[in-house]
Amino acid sequence: MAELQKDPITRKDLLGLGVLGAVVGAILTIPPAAFVLGPVIRTDVLGETNVSNDWFRAGSIEEVPAKEPQVFEVEFPIDQAYAGDVQKAGPQTQRSQNEFAVKNAIWVSWKTEILPDGSYGESLRPAFLSGGVNEPLNQEQIQEVQETLNVLSNSCAHLGCPVRWFEAEGVGEFRCPCHGGIYNINGSLVSGPPPRGMYSYTSEVREDGNIYVKHEFDVGGGLNEQAPFVI
Amino acid sequence: MIGRIGSRALETGKFISDWMEHRSGIVTMLEHFLYEPVPKRGAWIYTLGSAALFTITLQFLTGILLLFYYVPTTDHAWGSIYYIMNEAYFGTMIRGIHYWSANFLLVVIGLHMAQVFFSGGYKAPRELNWVVGVILLLLVIVLAFTGYLLRWDQDGFWASVVGIKIGSYSPFVGAQVTHFLLGGDVIGPATLSRFFAIHVWLLPAALAPFIGIHLYLLRRHGVFGSEFEYTNRLAKLHERQRLEEFERYEEDEGERYVGRRDRADRE
Repeated sequence: MAELQKDPITRKDLLGLGVLGAVVGAILTIPPAAFVLGPVIRTDVLGETNVSNDWFRAGSIEEVPAKEPQVFEVEFPIDQAYAGDVQKAGPQTQRSQNEFAVKNAIWVSWKTEILPDGSYGESLRPAFLSGGVNEPLNQEQIQEVQETLNVLSNSCAHLGCPVRWFEAEGVGEFRCPCHGGIYNINGSLVSGPPPRGMYSYTSEVREDGNIYVKHEFDVGGGLNEQAPFVI
Repeated sequence: MIGRIGSRALETGKFISDWMEHRSGIVTMLEHFLYEPVPKRGAWIYTLGSAALFTITLQFLTGILLLFYYVPTTDHAWGSIYYIMNEAYFGTMIRGIHYWSANFLLVVIGLHMAQVFFSGGYKAPRELNWVVGVILLLLVIVLAFTGYLLRWDQDGFWASVVGIKIGSYSPFVGAQVTHFLLGGDVIGPATLSRFFAIHVWLLPAALAPFIGIHLYLLRRHGVFGSEFEYTNRLAKLHERQRLEEFERYEEDEGERYVGRRDRADRE
């Protein structure tokens, strides 16, 4: 047998070496580990986020037709690594004049009845919208609109590829280009690998008839609890 | 005239190699690292490991060259690669070699693994070398994954989104893995910096010592046959070299033959 230790070591020495080793090891490993794992500590332990917590305007409810979703692009400002702090420290410097943002495509549709064979029934688009939006909306109208609106993220619940609305022979569906996930107009899963339906934004409709969204998503509300993560 | 220059050069070369051998043992070392007894039949299949090493070397060299122009920020990454591809001299070639040898590397590693597997080269006492090889394979896969995002084009971007989201399905630590890779909770400038650091510094630095261990273990046990057989062959080789040496020494007696004789004595 190969033997490395020629001199016998006493119990006291062994314990002393162990304690010393633990202290030195901690001093050597904790700073670099915390340095590299900073984002994990910030998001998962302290619950911080890089994305602005404000409401952002997506678009008007008037633009959303019955039986077909409408896409809106929203840029959420983010503060990640060098993005925000440099600008705050020196707004006049050339270093970074760019606003950093995540650009999200938001699919908005009216809730639609799904018939037993999977085809679409009546759209629940509020009747008062047929004559256009008369500002300001009253509380009842806002209530009705919020209850009948789907505000969906285009990020596939499977692996985050951007889904698109396809229409063939009068029947439309959301399709994912990567692995073939299919969702219906309400964002519910029709087929494919995704473990749940499309993610919905936290949204509200205001008196001016516009949809406002926050960069927040429902995590439950599907087949399993899975956060969208990369959006 | 030319013959004289030739013999002169030969002498000088011999002198230098002897001088080096006497001081560093480099000739013996090279001999040990380069001589490899393999069966005559199917000898080419034993070059797959060297082919992998060669492509990895290409990765290192072309990667270093690409770093002269590449800028790892969200607003310049794509543009700097555009510059490499369209303006820099031989940029298309340098980046093409980096890209294609990365693809070939994975193919060659697959063939190399298959060869070792089917020839039973992973059996005792070479199990540890198989383990080290698997570590190398994983490092190369992560290198390939992180390199994809650095282009910061639609292709690499969405492939990385998919890859990062695959990580989010890990049991128990899904969120932590995702946020570690993203450098935050959305894909952004920190993500690119991280992938750059991992691709350019962390993994190549981790790869190099494992390649060293892989080669050391290979030379310790050899690629072919049992340990006994291998050492036997090596002993025969050395014996033959020693006899040749001795004959030559007898031929030109009187000349000093420091290096080689020294080695022979030592053994």
